[in-house]
Amino acid sequence: MLIYISRRLLWTPVLLFVAGLFIFSLGSVAPGDPAELMAGQRADPEAIARIRDRLGLDDPFLVQYTRYAANALKGDFGESYRYRGRDVIELLGPKLLVSLELNIVSYVVTLLIGLPLGFWAAMRQGTWKDPTMTTFMLLVYALPVFFTAPFLILVFALWLDWIPVSGWSGMFSTHAILPAFTIGVPGAFVFMRYMRASTLDVLGQEYVRTAHGKGMGHMTVNRRHIARNALLPIVTILGFSLAGLFGGSLIVELIYGIPGVSRLALEAVFQRDYPVLTTLTLLGATMLAVANLVADIMYSLIDPRIRLRA
Amino acid sequence: MIAGLAVAVMFAIGCSADEPTPVPPTATSVPEPTATQVPTKAPEVQRTSSGVAPTATAIAAATSTAVAEATASAGEQATVVAEETATAASQAVEDVDDREFDARRGGVFRLLGSDPVTFDPALTTDSTSYDITLQLFSGLTRLTDDPNNPIVTDLAESFTVSSDGTVYRFVLREGLVFSDGSPLTAFDFKWSWERAALPETGSPIVKEFLGDIVGINDIVEGNATSAEGITVIDDLTLEVKIDSPKPYFIAKLTYPVTFVVNRDNVESGGETWTEAPVGTGPFVLKSYEIGVSMVLERNDNYWDTPAFLDEVHFILAGGSAMAMYENEEIHVTGIPAASYERVTDPNEQLSQEVVDVPAEFVTYYIGFNVEQAPFDDVHFRRALNYAVDKELIAEAVLNNRAKPAYGPIPPGFVGFNPDLEGLRFNAERAQEELAMSKYADPESLPRIVFTTPGTGGSPPTYLLAVADMWARTLGVEVEFQEVEWATFLQEIDNYRLQVFSLAWSPDYPDPHTFVDVLFRSDSSINQTQYANAEVDALLDEATTEPDPARRVQLYQQAEQIIVNDAVWVPMWWGTEGKILVNRRVNGFRISPLGSYYLKDVWIEKQIDF
Repeated sequence: MLIYISRRLLWTPVLLFVAGLFIFSLGSVAPGDPAELMAGQRADPEAIARIRDRLGLDDPFLVQYTRYAANALKGDFGESYRYRGRDVIELLGPKLLVSLELNIVSYVVTLLIGLPLGFWAAMRQGTWKDPTMTTFMLLVYALPVFFTAPFLILVFALWLDWIPVSGWSGMFSTHAILPAFTIGVPGAFVFMRYMRASTLDVLGQEYVRTAHGKGMGHMTVNRRHIARNALLPIVTILGFSLAGLFGGSLIVELIYGIPGVSRLALEAVFQRDYPVLTTLTLLGATMLAVANLVADIMYSLIDPRIRLRA
Repeated sequence: MIAGLAVAVMFAIGCSADEPTPVPPTATSVPEPTATQVPTKAPEVQRTSSGVAPTATAIAAATSTAVAEATASAGEQATVVAEETATAASQAVEDVDDREFDARRGGVFRLLGSDPVTFDPALTTDSTSYDITLQLFSGLTRLTDDPNNPIVTDLAESFTVSSDGTVYRFVLREGLVFSDGSPLTAFDFKWSWERAALPETGSPIVKEFLGDIVGINDIVEGNATSAEGITVIDDLTLEVKIDSPKPYFIAKLTYPVTFVVNRDNVESGGETWTEAPVGTGPFVLKSYEIGVSMVLERNDNYWDTPAFLDEVHFILAGGSAMAMYENEEIHVTGIPAASYERVTDPNEQLSQEVVDVPAEFVTYYIGFNVEQAPFDDVHFRRALNYAVDKELIAEAVLNNRAKPAYGPIPPGFVGFNPDLEGLRFNAERAQEELAMSKYADPESLPRIVFTTPGTGGSPPTYLLAVADMWARTLGVEVEFQEVEWATFLQEIDNYRLQVFSLAWSPDYPDPHTFVDVLFRSDSSINQTQYANAEVDALLDEATTEPDPARRVQLYQQAEQIIVNDAVWVPMWWGTEGKILVNRRVNGFRISPLGSYYLKDVWIEKQIDF
């Protein structure tokens, strides 16, 4: 097990190097010149040449990448092209934090709605309630956020005037409510389905019948035997979801005016701010690698039949 | 510069495509993706430039200057900007008594904005940065709203020009200080200009705006650190020698690259000195968090009457402009197409806050690369011009909010020629011209790709209408290709586009900014590769002609030739629009070059009974 984990960990840098190379090479083949964008339309060609020189853009591609990778190993991800003199990490840090907060609070909403609903639906299998709820949640899931977000703003911010339209002041503020529901409620459908399937599995188990047979109360059986066991496989899915926590929820951030990482990333694309883009991609790749590892380890811990072999 | 900046990050996302930020799409600068309008789409978008807010008149009326003919010292026949100018902006304020002034003072003005590319005046080339540097810094002269008097002195009290037109002597106002209270002298200007020219500073536009000064180009090329053309006579007097008489030189001094910066501030702050810039504008940068917010506060050390507002809050994280406006989270916004009908409905309360925005100086056009087939044939280009019925498109597609253009210089701008003979719609002539061209035979016509900047997915409707007219009248079919801004910029600079749509707005109030920079054969911004020796000769003559009336004539002659050569299909001169301005906000308006000036904005206090 330990050997397996350490081997996985050793592979991670290789994976990151390749991922970085890939995104970096996109920069050199994509049309558009960062220096030209920085200088503006009116710039004379010499001014653009000076900027290219300062950024080292005229060096061969591999030289540029090696330089970037070497610095990155030292924790220096370079300076943003767009925001002169700003360290990429310094630039990304606060934005990542906001996106992380937003995703966590949305995730909590997803779980708090999805899991109980899934359990509830499973317990009502065969009645009209189960398919009705499932269909309803499917509809919610299918609604695009660029419809739901303005709709929620209209109702809760403009008509009822309960919540501000835009801005961000932390995950525990009123600013977080609308975006969290906008992202969280549709996501609940997925967890509802997992939970429902998982609960149905458990319902068919002998030990449930035994528990009932022993004369235990319905609530106790539900809680201690059914829900608890049904939750086990869900835990592994949670591991996979970790990777998404830093990810942007682009449209939601834009509609609600949340200063998360998405807007910066999008701007970096249009401005050809390659240091920012490359760093973000590397970060994403790292999260994915770690999340996969965590999920694998969780599987093995929960289900002894799956043994991680070295 | 290319107008309106922008390709719209917003368009890409689709979510707020129709919600331009309230920041007026500007004039003075180069497009840059953080703004929210696609240049060539503007006629279809609600324009967001400001209008003259209802109560602004009192303040607006103030900006009267007298550029009076006068004789300065012996031997120097000169143009003197009279002292009256000094208080140009404040004159209206003086009309208001102190009590009223106090009543106007205070408050926080909120608006949606974008991250400026830079706060450094020397590096400012885009509209977003321009609008901010204008609040934080200032220079010897500045722009006004008055078309008859577009330029007034600012930090300079007056200036004189030598009779040969090459030596400018500026007299600064007495007692000038920076926002941190440190004194400002003529030496600060010399230092600021030389610093702007240093290769380390990396200003992309210093040559364009200060390169006329003797010695500046040597600094730019790294051969000197001081310009002999700039002499500090005493603390209040600055003498500037330019390489040849250029009447538009003074107009260039309204551009940020010529603004004064504080030496201690710049030298101690390193590359990020602009995090705490010390300037001479009506506001000071209080805080700035990238992508989150930017707060300006009043500069109490401003030389003129200080701004009314305590603070200006720019929200940089985006959001749903219309909803934020209705919830009073911002004070000004453009009107999204989806809300247009509702907002302008007289029964709707919001309609009372709608402010008309007069067309600003901007020319939308379709440019031809005259070196690429089939646009290498003047008859073919003329045919395309004659085939377009702009009046019809304006009426049918743009609800008459756009004014059809027939030449580069827009009405109201210095040098506009009301007698210009444009290539007006005439189907017969279009067909005749086509018959005369070497592409008369449809078989000989190469494939035509029409490129538009943007990420909206389809070209603006008015361009589709143009293409339809070409197809119907001439049988000329074009394919559209849309590319995002960065790519567009590179393609156009490398002359790889056959035909494209763009917009241009002036950088300074002089015909030079339209006719010379776009059509002179050796101009670095000549996008069409147009080269006409006759035009070049006229432009050369105009550059140094001291008589303003004669200069204008020369530019107009050049303009007529350019129009006859059909280098463009000029499309629109500005577009009128509407914006929403909170009913308590007064004085929000912008200069004719499209940027706004927040000093005169004031907010009525909410009255509690």
